[in-house]
This record gives sequence, C-alpha cells and structure tokens, in this order.
Amino acid sequence: MRRQVPLILCFVFGIVMIFTQFSPHSVSQTLYQEVISWALIISPFALVLATTTLIQTHVTRIRRRTEHWQYSFLVFVGIITMVVIGVPFGPQNQVFEWFYTHVQVPMDATMFSLLAFFIASAAYRAFRARTFEASLLLITALIVMMGNVPVGDLIWNTVLSWLPLEDGASGARQWILNNPNLSARRGIILGVSLGVISQSIRIILGIERTYLGGGD
Amino acid sequence: MELFGIWVAALLTLCIYSFLYQDNPFYRFAEHLYVGISVGYGIVLSIHQGLIPFAFKPFWAAVTGESLIGLVKLIPIGVGLLFFARLSPGHTWLIRYPIAILIGFGSGVAIPNVLRANIFEQTRGTIEPFAAMHAGTLSGWGVFEAVLMVVGVVCTLTYFFFSVEHRGPVKWLSKVGIAFLMIGFGSAFGNTVMGRVALLIQRADFLLGDWLNLIS
Repeated sequence: MRRQVPLILCFVFGIVMIFTQFSPHSVSQTLYQEVISWALIISPFALVLATTTLIQTHVTRIRRRTEHWQYSFLVFVGIITMVVIGVPFGPQNQVFEWFYTHVQVPMDATMFSLLAFFIASAAYRAFRARTFEASLLLITALIVMMGNVPVGDLIWNTVLSWLPLEDGASGARQWILNNPNLSARRGIILGVSLGVISQSIRIILGIERTYLGGGD
Repeated sequence: MELFGIWVAALLTLCIYSFLYQDNPFYRFAEHLYVGISVGYGIVLSIHQGLIPFAFKPFWAAVTGESLIGLVKLIPIGVGLLFFARLSPGHTWLIRYPIAILIGFGSGVAIPNVLRANIFEQTRGTIEPFAAMHAGTLSGWGVFEAVLMVVGVVCTLTYFFFSVEHRGPVKWLSKVGIAFLMIGFGSAFGNTVMGRVALLIQRADFLLGDWLNLIS
C-alpha cells in the first residue's frame, strides 16, 4: 500500500503518457490533454508545500534568534505582498505588475549581473593556461567574447587589416559556435538523452525507486 | 508612481551591488526581499496559470451544472493536497502518491520527446550534410565542416563511453573528444560572460540614464 500503489501509479501514468503520444486517435489525445492538466494541477501544490517549508525555516530562525534573524521578516513581507495582491486580483493587476517591474525584475537582473564580477575572478583562476585543454578553452572563450562585441571586429579590421577577411572576429565566433561547439554539444545531448531514456524506463518499470524515499 | 518605481528599483540595485564590497545589511535586506517577492510571484503565477484554469474553473462549471466532467478534477486536487501529508509526521508516506504520479508523468513524456527531439533530430542534423555531399552540391569547405561535425560527435561520445577501457585508439578518440568538449565549454563560458556583462551594462544604463538622467 505504501510503496506498491505509488509504483503502480508511476507505471500507469508513464505508460499512458508514452502510448497517448504515439496514437493520434481522438480518445488518446483527449486522455493525453487530461493527464497534462492533472500534472499542471498537482504541481502548484508542490510549490505551496515548498513555500510552507521556507516559511517554517524562517519561523524557526526568528524563534531561535539565529544570526540575522530580523531579515526573515522581509521574506514574509515579500511573499504576503505578492500573494495578497496577486491571488485575488490576478497577475495583470497594476499594483502586482508594479512590484514585478520595479522590484523583482531589477533585483533579478542585478543578481545575475553580479555574477559578471565573480565570473571574471573565476575566469582568471581557470584560465591560467597550463595544459593544452585549458589553452583551448581559453582561446575559444576569448574568440567567442570578442566576436560578441563590435570592438572585436574593430580590432580585427585594424590589427589584421592585411587579411582578406573582414569582420573576422564575429565570423570566427559564428564558425566555432556552428561547428566544433555544436558537435560537442550534440555528443553531450546524445549521451544525456540516452541516459534520460534509460532512467525513465527504469523509473516506469519500478527498477529505480529512490524517489520513494526510505522507510516503509 | 513611475518615478517612485525608478527610485525603488535604483536603490534595490545599489543595495545588491553593495555586496561587491562585502556582505552588509543593505545587501541582506535586498536579498531577503528578493526571495520573498520571487516566491510570492511564483505562487501567484502557478495559481492563476495552473490551478484556476485547469482545476477551479472546470470544477466550478460542474458545481453550477454546466459540465459535470469538471468533477474529475477533484482527483488531481485531492492528489495534490497529499503533498501536505509531509507536515504530519505519521502520514509522510502519503506524499509518495503525488510524487509517483508526477515522476511517472515526466518519465512518460520524456521518452518519446527526447527520442524525437534529441536523438533522431540531432543524428539527422549530423549526417544530413552527407546527402548534399553525395549529390555533389556541397563545397570543399562544407565537406570539411560535415566531416568535422561527425568526428566531433563520435569523439565526444567516445569520451563518455566507459564500457571499454580508454586505451589505444579509444584513448586517442576520447582525447580528441576532450578537445571538442573544451571548445564547447569555452564557447558556453564566453557566451555566459557576455550575457552577464550585458545585464551589467543594462543595469548601469538604468542607473545612469533612467535614474540619474546623466546619459540619454
């Protein structure tokens, strides 16, 4: 009951999703759409549970007065503000959109742009070319970066003006992306895909059961 | 309201950039607010784009007698509510039901889609130029690129092939595979750096243009 039923459910849903995708029959397609809608209904509950766990963590921080516990209130302020406005009035509400445009989007972009600084220091450590492979990575990254910005072509056209090729930096970047980079990516994609398929079959057939967790 | 929004966004941006100096109360303020706002935004979207259209509306239609088929939605709602069993120590095992359904669903969706998009399409893309080569429509440079692509894919896959010991020809093939992988990682790194730098430029543009009006 505690392990067998979930295994049967996993098998049934897995098999149904495989077969309905191969069958163009209207019943099959209706079933496919229905199961997709079921997954879309079940998934938000997982998010709500995750939020509950987040709230529990911060409540514990406040209760135990751990370091910087005062900031935990800000997490609640953020969640409550967005939920109180967004749930009843919808994401198209003006106030909700204001918070999205003027609070979330700028912070999102700034957080990611912060990585530009750290990636630069990480690159310095990683790019101290000591081996052939590291040199290859360094040279490729440099060409891709220079080919991405107009100054790359400007430098190329100025320094390497004797070459018959104009705008070579962006051209070299594009060639690398379309050829050696793409072939490496294809190799990775093919390998990962074979792994995904074999793992999915193992899950559906109940051979892989780690998602059930421990205990009975 | 718009001007106030620009000020809020600018101050939050500066709060996050203050981390470049060191961890400080301004950064912690923005960081916690960011977590709260993002989680709240996610909850609102999942409710309005998942629960309401796929569960609440059909269920309400069944309650009002419009379409009784909506009663079926009670099943995924009930299954979704089982996520909260995690909060009750004696009933934690019930969470396996929604997880098993979602994992079975995901595995079932993955197999045909991964086969189609990642294996068949990628393999087709790799060998397709040879048809043009056979027809005699491919230039000398195109032939070189087609061969390079196949060599790259085969060597990259060889590197990930651990069923045989990497000795002799396999060792050399996998070494060539590493070279292709390094070019791939270098390209990914270069593109990531440029993406982050673009975000940094965008934030600087916002601070100097929209906020301080120093640049137009």
